[in-house]
Amino acid sequence: MPRKRGSLPLTGYRRPNGRVGVRNHVLILPVDDLSNAAAEGVARLIHPTVALPHPYGRLQFGKDLELTFRTLSGHGANPNVYGAVVIGIEPKWTERVASAIAKTGKPVESFSIERHGDLNVINAASRVAYRMAQDASEVKREPIEVSELVLSIKCGESDPTLGLAGNKAQGKVVDRLVDMGASVIFGETSELTGGEHLIAERCATPALKRKFLKLYNDYIAMIEAQGVDLLGSQPTEGNIRGGLSTIEEKALGNIQKTGTRPVNAVLDYAEEVAPGQGLVFMNSSSAGAEQVTLCAAGGSVLHFFTTGQGNIVGHPLIPVIKISPNPITCKTMREHIDVALPDLLVGEIGLEQAAERILEVFVRTVNGRLTAAELLRHNEFVLTKLYPSA
Amino acid sequence: MAHRALAHKSTDDVAVAVADLKAGEELTIESLEGGPAQRVRVLEDIPLGHKIALRDMPEGHVVIEYGERIGRLTQAVKKGGWVHVHNIRTLRWDYGKGNKPTRRRAGKGGS
Repeated sequence: MPRKRGSLPLTGYRRPNGRVGVRNHVLILPVDDLSNAAAEGVARLIHPTVALPHPYGRLQFGKDLELTFRTLSGHGANPNVYGAVVIGIEPKWTERVASAIAKTGKPVESFSIERHGDLNVINAASRVAYRMAQDASEVKREPIEVSELVLSIKCGESDPTLGLAGNKAQGKVVDRLVDMGASVIFGETSELTGGEHLIAERCATPALKRKFLKLYNDYIAMIEAQGVDLLGSQPTEGNIRGGLSTIEEKALGNIQKTGTRPVNAVLDYAEEVAPGQGLVFMNSSSAGAEQVTLCAAGGSVLHFFTTGQGNIVGHPLIPVIKISPNPITCKTMREHIDVALPDLLVGEIGLEQAAERILEVFVRTVNGRLTAAELLRHNEFVLTKLYPSA
Repeated sequence: MAHRALAHKSTDDVAVAVADLKAGEELTIESLEGGPAQRVRVLEDIPLGHKIALRDMPEGHVVIEYGERIGRLTQAVKKGGWVHVHNIRTLRWDYGKGNKPTRRRAGKGGS
């Protein structure tokens, strides 16, 4: 059983499989690029539903296909989703995605376009979405425990204000949430470069450490197999402008936000995370939208995102809490920031006070307060592609 | 008084400006993890978020921040100077490519 220390006044939506969400979306999920038009058609007709248009799902094969299926069905299964309408061009893959979602016990219906056409599918799917959205509107929030939640973290457009302040405060928050029994996912495999030994040392068992180092080394080998290194892209131009000089410096700042607890699980892209696992590493790109999408597919219901120079990423299904200690960013991009911590940067408040400020916004966000990214319609949904389609 | 620059550890080679620093400023720089504060005179303008050298360091010096290695100096830096991509490079992929080449070496150097 997860350790419990303290409790927070949280409410959420309990799903038929016992998992807990903090939002209550009805999802219109296209299986492939061709089905985006119909899915978006349904979402335009029926309020409040969410479509997840994307460019893939055709002629993928092997691990890349498995990852796309896992990401799509993971979004349907995400506890922030009440029910899903799955639309694909042909019935077989459509059914595959729908039946994976149906294992959660939530309402799922699927439609294929071949031999029906977009208009008939939009008609039939909209009638189902209409009923689903109305049913969803009657589901009540109920008290939940932190230990029932799967959460995730990332930083982006990083600069040294994160390593010094923002990520250190976030690390305190992660330690507290893990101690209260939450699962917290982190990733950004290539951005651990220079600090990967510190993560390896925190793996809870020798087997996990070997698994982590294999995923890390395979990722770097994949980059180097392209005949390049990350010198041109890591740190990014934004990172450099903010003051980060090398990938090592970026990584050391990055891992501050993971706190100090052991890494209890090491997973590949978009693999499912259960509550009560503690701190979990998930192999991922370090690109914001790709990583948040992989975390949501793995079951994260809320994401903490620390930013220096002002990454504005969001996600269609999970609230992304944006935290920044950079005074320029907090002033010039105020509408994107949920938790401003410039006073932490100059030492006017301490890390504990900063962590409290983040936790307070976390509680309000879980309970329904909209994040900056939700208000500004930052609905980034980006599939990770492992190699070209056939 | 609000900090102007902060080090992660008192043993680090660099600290981070938490405000825009002007050449000629006299700073007392503390470390997040305690230890003695250091007096540093700022040699050049250093923007918020960027690094200031806490000691004189020669070309080739491996710079320590967070108590860890963050890169190698491609030119000497004086105490109070600005440490950034013009004078520090990663220890990974350390074979002379990129915008600020040093000298080409056979194979991979560094870490």
